[in-house]
Amino acid sequence: MTARSGRSAFGLALALAVLWGCASPLKEAKLHFSRAQEHDRRYESGQAVAAAKRALLEAEAAARKDPSAQAYTLKGLAEVRLERWPDAAESFRLAFTLGFASGEQWAADAALLGAALAFEASGLPESAGRAYAHLMGRAKFGPIRRAAAGKHVDLGLARALALNEKDRDRALAGLAKDVGRLLDDDFASGFAHYLLSQVLSHRADLRGSYEEAVMARELGLPSEKILRDNDNQIVFCRDRIRDALPQDEKDRFDAVHEAWTKRWGWRDARTPAWKKE
Amino acid sequence: MSRKDIEQALVRGVETLAAFIPSAPFLLFPVLSSVCVWSVRRVFNYRDHILTWKVWLDPEAVRTKPDDFILHFFAKNPDLSRIYAREIEAGDIKGLRAAFPALYPLLGLEDAFLRGLFRGELAAGAVRKIVAEFEARTAAAVEGLKPAEADPAFWRFLETFGMELASLGLHLLKDDDILDLILAAIREEHSPPERGA
Repeated sequence: MTARSGRSAFGLALALAVLWGCASPLKEAKLHFSRAQEHDRRYESGQAVAAAKRALLEAEAAARKDPSAQAYTLKGLAEVRLERWPDAAESFRLAFTLGFASGEQWAADAALLGAALAFEASGLPESAGRAYAHLMGRAKFGPIRRAAAGKHVDLGLARALALNEKDRDRALAGLAKDVGRLLDDDFASGFAHYLLSQVLSHRADLRGSYEEAVMARELGLPSEKILRDNDNQIVFCRDRIRDALPQDEKDRFDAVHEAWTKRWGWRDARTPAWKKE
Repeated sequence: MSRKDIEQALVRGVETLAAFIPSAPFLLFPVLSSVCVWSVRRVFNYRDHILTWKVWLDPEAVRTKPDDFILHFFAKNPDLSRIYAREIEAGDIKGLRAAFPALYPLLGLEDAFLRGLFRGELAAGAVRKIVAEFEARTAAAVEGLKPAEADPAFWRFLETFGMELASLGLHLLKDDDILDLILAAIREEHSPPERGA
């Protein structure tokens, strides 16, 4: 199964979860999970996490009351949103045993991600890195592919920082290629654009980093922390790009930048709305 | 909105909260300021919001920034550019990078809990003290919150308390006014307010 068909399976699972059954906890779980997705789309990460937690509680109740593929699938989806990877793996495995065909592969992906995180926490970054790279390229379930990509880039950047200039350039080029492949597969992923922006920033490609960060903001980011960091990246790139421009080009750049910041509700060219006044 | 009602509610809140975290009075301010921030926004899932601050400590988010981003962060912040003028002038990236993991979550990403935890130092401009004590203080905060964290009554209290503050019109006050009211309530109930800070 390709990543694209994995996404289709994810969409289908969600659609089925929304359409199937109307038992009360299950219905509530669907409702809260839909709200979590809606909040995520609006960058309201705090509310999204809260809604995912409510969805999880309801899905757990639904699974206790009447174990079914859809209850465990919803439970797994909520656990993925809350980054509880081992729990998600178990939920998808149970969903598979009850008839959700993609559940087996999703369970394997979630379990491997959980293991990779444990490797990293135990001081085994090489083993963790191999697992992240594998999941980034092969995971069938989008959220797991995305989480693995984030960890892969974090580890890659940390390693690159410790290298000499020549080796660092080569390592960063490789990382940019890895994220590029992720974007080939899912160009609408705001998080992938955020990761590319970070890598390009290390390569001193500020124009590219700025454009990717703007794209990331437009497409949506998975958490408030990342949204704020991305905003800081936009301000950093904006300042550095302006510094290097002649006046007439600076005016043109300012006009374009202002159009974006107005759209996002920033107080001025350098101040996102969440910044303390 | 009655300012007096809010003041009284905060005093009652401090009293109750102090009973949940008797060994960590320095957490009264950060916990209450987080509750107030989220009450203003009418988001009543305090468990998530208060515990989110731990995520900001994730070293990966800050350890991989390029040198130029770190330099820009220090140079463009008026206080930091003054306090770290020597390092910025000398291009001492090693020194700046060492301070960055403490200062970026606090001043760059503006976490409400961390701002509450280091309010005394922030108000005094004691930035180097924050850097020196960041690891120990955040570790102490993790420990201090542990007993209450596991108690469902703690979270129920915060939710009820936040709803009460919201219903009293907390959102009509400015952030700084709210923080001053919290400090006054803590002083009244639990002096000194920033012990351990």
